[in-house]
Amino acid sequence: MAQMTIREALSRTIRAEMERDPNLLILGEDIVGGNGTAGGPEAIGGIWGMTGGLYASFGPKRVIDTPISESCIVGAAAGAALAGKRAIAELMFADFVGVCLDQIYNQIAKFRYMFGGRTTCPVTVRIAYGAGLNCAAQHSQAVYSMLTSIPGLKVVMPTTPADAKGLLTTAIRGDDPVMFFEHKMLYGETGEVPDGEYLVPFGHARVVREGRDATIVTCGALVGAAATAADKLAAEGIACDVLDLRTTSPLDEESILDSVEGTGRLIVADESPPRCSLAADIAALVSSKAFAALKAPVELVTAPHAPVPFARELERAYLPSPATIEAAVRKALAYR
Amino acid sequence: MRINRDQLINAYRRMKTIREFEERLHQEIATGEIAGFTHLYAGQEAVAVGVCAHLGPTDYIVSTHRGHGHCIAKGCDVKAMMKEIFGRRDGLCKGKGGSMHIADVSVGMLGANGIVGGGAPLALGAALAARMDGAGKVAVAFSGDGAANQGTTFEAMNMAVVLKAPVIFAFENNHYSEHTGVSYAVGAKDMASRAAGFGMAAHKVDGCDFFATYNLMTEVIAYCRAGKGPVAVEFDTERFYGHFEGDPQRYRASGEVDRLRATRDCLKAFRAKAIDEDLLDSNTLATIDTEVVALINAAVEEARTAPVPSAADVLEDVYVSY
Amino acid sequence: MSTLRAFTMPKWGIEMTEGTISEWSISEGDAVAQGQTIALIESDKIVNEVQAEFDTRFVRLIATAGESYPVGALLAVMAGGEVTSAEVDAFVAAFRPAGAAGESARATAAQAAVETLSPVVTDYLAAEIPPGVAISPQAWHHASQLNIDVRTIAGSGRRGRITLQDVEQASRPPRLVGGGTAVSIAPTTTALDAFYASPGAKRLAVVHNVDLASVRGTGPRGRISRADVARDAGVPLRSAGVEVVRMSSMRKAIARQLTLSKATIPHYYLRRQVQLEALQSLRDDLKQQTGTAPGLNDFLLRTTALALCEVPDVNIQVHGDEIHRFTDANIAVAVATDRGLITPVLRAAQTKSAHALAAELKPLIDRARAGRLRAEDVEGGTFTVSNLGMFGVEQFDAIINPPQGAILAIGAARRQPVERDGGIAFTSVAWLSLSCDHRAIDGAVGGRFLTALREFIESPQRL
Repeated sequence: MAQMTIREALSRTIRAEMERDPNLLILGEDIVGGNGTAGGPEAIGGIWGMTGGLYASFGPKRVIDTPISESCIVGAAAGAALAGKRAIAELMFADFVGVCLDQIYNQIAKFRYMFGGRTTCPVTVRIAYGAGLNCAAQHSQAVYSMLTSIPGLKVVMPTTPADAKGLLTTAIRGDDPVMFFEHKMLYGETGEVPDGEYLVPFGHARVVREGRDATIVTCGALVGAAATAADKLAAEGIACDVLDLRTTSPLDEESILDSVEGTGRLIVADESPPRCSLAADIAALVSSKAFAALKAPVELVTAPHAPVPFARELERAYLPSPATIEAAVRKALAYR
Repeated sequence: MRINRDQLINAYRRMKTIREFEERLHQEIATGEIAGFTHLYAGQEAVAVGVCAHLGPTDYIVSTHRGHGHCIAKGCDVKAMMKEIFGRRDGLCKGKGGSMHIADVSVGMLGANGIVGGGAPLALGAALAARMDGAGKVAVAFSGDGAANQGTTFEAMNMAVVLKAPVIFAFENNHYSEHTGVSYAVGAKDMASRAAGFGMAAHKVDGCDFFATYNLMTEVIAYCRAGKGPVAVEFDTERFYGHFEGDPQRYRASGEVDRLRATRDCLKAFRAKAIDEDLLDSNTLATIDTEVVALINAAVEEARTAPVPSAADVLEDVYVSY
Repeated sequence: MSTLRAFTMPKWGIEMTEGTISEWSISEGDAVAQGQTIALIESDKIVNEVQAEFDTRFVRLIATAGESYPVGALLAVMAGGEVTSAEVDAFVAAFRPAGAAGESARATAAQAAVETLSPVVTDYLAAEIPPGVAISPQAWHHASQLNIDVRTIAGSGRRGRITLQDVEQASRPPRLVGGGTAVSIAPTTTALDAFYASPGAKRLAVVHNVDLASVRGTGPRGRISRADVARDAGVPLRSAGVEVVRMSSMRKAIARQLTLSKATIPHYYLRRQVQLEALQSLRDDLKQQTGTAPGLNDFLLRTTALALCEVPDVNIQVHGDEIHRFTDANIAVAVATDRGLITPVLRAAQTKSAHALAAELKPLIDRARAGRLRAEDVEGGTFTVSNLGMFGVEQFDAIINPPQGAILAIGAARRQPVERDGGIAFTSVAWLSLSCDHRAIDGAVGGRFLTALREFIESPQRL
């Protein structure tokens, strides 16, 4: 076991997998950095600092800096995967899936199916997402709700360094295309990481807090907010179950339904805007499969139906917070 | 010209197979039995065969929505293809893809693509994979004159040059981007010179002349295999049918298709030259014709009677494991 | 000129919501003096004479004897002087019951009207909603029934509209959230989080020190369940010494029925001892004379049937607000089987001798024990008899089998000293316990039944 940040955990995992599998390649903008400049290659190892040193170890055929061409970052990863390799495509910001959405949603999501199951497309697309750093509307979106709805893709978002290692390893070694969401606010999050081989299976939520009074389901940076809210409520005798989904596709329906059947009250905290979102999806799941267990209407704590604003006060108002999650729990408990 | 008799026979057989396949499909589609959109390649055979004659099963191609020709030229099973287009369970893609997504990755055919321009990045990726293997394999991105204007194509061309990837951008200029003429849609003088502007070697050739195509591709592919970087080739060719089956083709001049079939038919040109220069005799060609027609007939019969997929197949193969 | 006054249903006590005119003591047109009895009115607790509080004349009687009316309803019109029929008509038409009770009376009346009439009547109901209050007619009606002032409710519906759920919430006592003592919510199973297992499975693993890595999950996506842990690690699912038997559907039905009975029926119990000597003598004589005789219990069934006919108020079924009185005594007899308790019915038992009852009962018991009773064998009982005497049980109280109104529990016959002619004699006695549904059977009625039953038992010549 070692203490490290999510950034370090991801970085080490990428290196470990590159070492383990000579067929693995990684591409993206400034993965290596410095190509064609006075500084030369490796002037920067990735904008988030996670791919430094890979070029020196594995060479230009496996560690590829691309021009700013998102369609080709994902598309080339896909083509290489179809040709028998395994690929990691780094897209910098989740918002940029807009630029290459065709390759994600018409190509990698569908190859296995369209080609009659006779091929696989093992591509992991790593994207940094989420609000909280005042990056405003085009660099802060939580794109996972939209991508969760696409059949053929898997959608993953770790919240601890251990999960970062375990989930990324599973993503890279799996044969299905994975959209790997890394929350900008969590890169510096520290925690214990097991040594050696460590895989976390998809579709398995993490229990962050245990209680019988209410269930809070969430993912990404809001896991911390939910835990804070739950701890505050626990001081008053209110015990909440807090579930970190870790993967929204596949979704751990069992754990969500188990918990709601025990508590009868569900609060979903989701950083996406509310229409056709993860929150709406889980509310519908519980309403249809555990209606009789519900003792109160499902409470959804989401961003508003608006783009992410720039000013600090506005972004703070935009995001769900421990206070709004706590208020939702109280509201659910007050329902008679 | 460095092509031997067997290779010539093979080439003719492949071209004839494509032609018969497409002509027969044209009839079958008119009966209403085939679902969805189909885009026929008849008229462009010399390009697919002229290129793929230089490729082995470990080289890669990526195709367009007009992909039957590339599929056959790359060596996909014709009967399985027919079943796929008919939507049968034993089709090349188990009835899950249909005409626009027809593929056989095991022979290096990385799929027809329903998205115009969707294939270029994929071919680039396959070329990067080939580069990792270091065995001189190449990838070919077949594009139409329409896809030549897509951002994805430009990105792929630039990145291919930057990374010196062994990919050939094969632009089949059949003069129509759907229902718009190429002289309107392509702003540059032509696609070859535009590709050259990206920094890669670029050529132009008459795509209705098999021999010219084959010869040019000999050099082009050797250049690519040697790791000298990407190449763009613009083929001047014609399509005899509409953009899709059912297209009324009001954009054509009157009698245009008849004229094309008379003067720009690559099969007729092949026969003429082969016989003229004593490369193959008419009997051999006639035998091939008969065999091909029989094959296509059998393929259609089998496809018509083959079992359809069951409803349970809908959920199969969405993932490897979920 | 009009000195018309309303004679309305009085409210006796805060719980009274309606009363019944048992009878009018006066006729229409009568003049009454102060203190004179006008009518007999019955509430659910008492029957009372209503007297005139002043001299007056009853110019119109509206209520009918035998009918129920809500508190505040107009029962008659009184007049001080001469009035015309038209004036009385007008008074009646304009009459509105006063106060909240009146409101609910109107709402109930209006609802009754709504239930049978066209949608036009709903508009009438909606028209009652106070101005400035956005509320659905249904929610408004519900609020009226629950006696809630809608002006105190914050609407959660569209544009602040008060919904049915808002009214429901307002009618319930507020739920206190928080303010309790701190609790621990640390997950008990973090160490086991690497495994995809149900909470129960993780607990079981912790308790029995099982390494979940050695367990193969059989649930979706390889989820480990408690059964998987129990199977792979060889640990018991529960502590030893316990065998878990799932309830059969028959057992579940019994459980459901009797739970419902105990929870909803106000049981009370009347117990008395009866002397069996006379009945036993009768039986012995019969046996001597004919070689066979019905069992003691068969005789007791006959006496029960006769007693039910004598006190038919015990031979009933209770259905909601209605009591169904039966002319036939359809006696259900409790029979113990391997699968559980079942009660086949002896129909019109009062028409059958003890012999006939015995002859009819035996095949029913056999079928019951073989699990081959038909639906018609167990339907339509009006009274149940349960006898645990064969187990030596001296006295017990049985649970009523709804929709019946009562059940008789018979204990074992024992020899006991009783007072006789100033001295002590030993005689055979048994305890009877009658469980009654107090909603339908009052104590006196139950008592009368037991008396009748005792008489039939102790004077069997009447059988």
